[in-house]
Amino acid sequence: MSVLAAIAIGLAMGAVFGLALEKSRVFEPGVILGQMQLRNFLMLKIFLTAVTTGLLVLAVLNGLGLAKLHPKATLYGADLLGGLLLGIGIALAGACPGTVAAQIGAGYRDAWFTLAGGLLGATAFAYAEPVLKPLLLTGGPGRITLAHVTGLPFWPLALGFAALLVAGLVALERWRPWRAEIGPAADGLLPQAPPAGAEPLTGLRAAG
Amino acid sequence: MPSLTDRAWSPYFAGILIGLLQIPAFLLLDTALGTSSSYVTVGASLAAFADPGLAAMDYAAKHLSGAKNWWQVAVVAGIALGALLSARLSGMRRHGISPVWTRALGSPSTARRFALAFAAGFIMLAGARIADGCTSGHGISGMAQLAVGSILAVTAMFAGGIATAFLLRRV
Repeated sequence: MSVLAAIAIGLAMGAVFGLALEKSRVFEPGVILGQMQLRNFLMLKIFLTAVTTGLLVLAVLNGLGLAKLHPKATLYGADLLGGLLLGIGIALAGACPGTVAAQIGAGYRDAWFTLAGGLLGATAFAYAEPVLKPLLLTGGPGRITLAHVTGLPFWPLALGFAALLVAGLVALERWRPWRAEIGPAADGLLPQAPPAGAEPLTGLRAAG
Repeated sequence: MPSLTDRAWSPYFAGILIGLLQIPAFLLLDTALGTSSSYVTVGASLAAFADPGLAAMDYAAKHLSGAKNWWQVAVVAGIALGALLSARLSGMRRHGISPVWTRALGSPSTARRFALAFAAGFIMLAGARIADGCTSGHGISGMAQLAVGSILAVTAMFAGGIATAFLLRRV
């Protein structure tokens, strides 16, 4: 495929991605930080629904032989350390590498600084990679999936996990209905309980 | 039926839409949905102006050219365009910074927030590159392929995120 065709497809796919991120409000720092403080579960709902849909899509595409899987190589140290740093960054940025772009599109100013820091971080990694490679980025069991671990074909496993996730999502929605998590300003911020001894805020109570 | 002028969509509808993006990714590009390696493509392209030697380093060189790398950059640019369009259609354009930061940091200072956002972006992408993926590549795509490393990375990501978030003020 030519680079120009790939860019055109990427822009179209990204536009759908950005639309879904904005409309679902998961690009909001309040939603992401709220998820990490276990107060708001919108992010988990969107994330697990996207994973479930992906499992079903790939069960069909891979099961019918239309697509090969592209799992990333498992590197225990790099996956754990990198994942931990990624999580720390996500909490402080109130964004993931993809939702930063949605924040910029929606108008948040600080997202430009997150983007600049991210470009510098990725570039710093490109410089550090030869040093990190022997320490963290070599060895490991390779591109393994649970299909390799269990010896089962991918598609029935994927369908099984998708069913488990759907059950989990149904339970999550019963526990925390999504409409109550959007917040009055659609930014995931929910009315805070008044501090002990304060006058009750009747307006907030009514909105909650 | 969800409309483009809605303020908010169901997280389940939006999640399905995002998951369906794997169809063009796997069938047209023969790759999985991801975003964080585009930061290397753009960052290294810019840095190579100042330091042409960077383009000769293996890791940077692998990210500088080719349809898949620029496809991913286009995806991230498309995310910004899609969010801009969506926010305009619903009258939900944002200005300044989110009020969540006054709650979480205990200060309305934008300068303080900008500095923290820059540092956070650096840590986030350094981590994503060490792990070779982010919430999209490891999260949405890796988990959908039941990749062992992705399940580990996502677990570590939530552990790091939750531990850090609890050090901030409650939002």
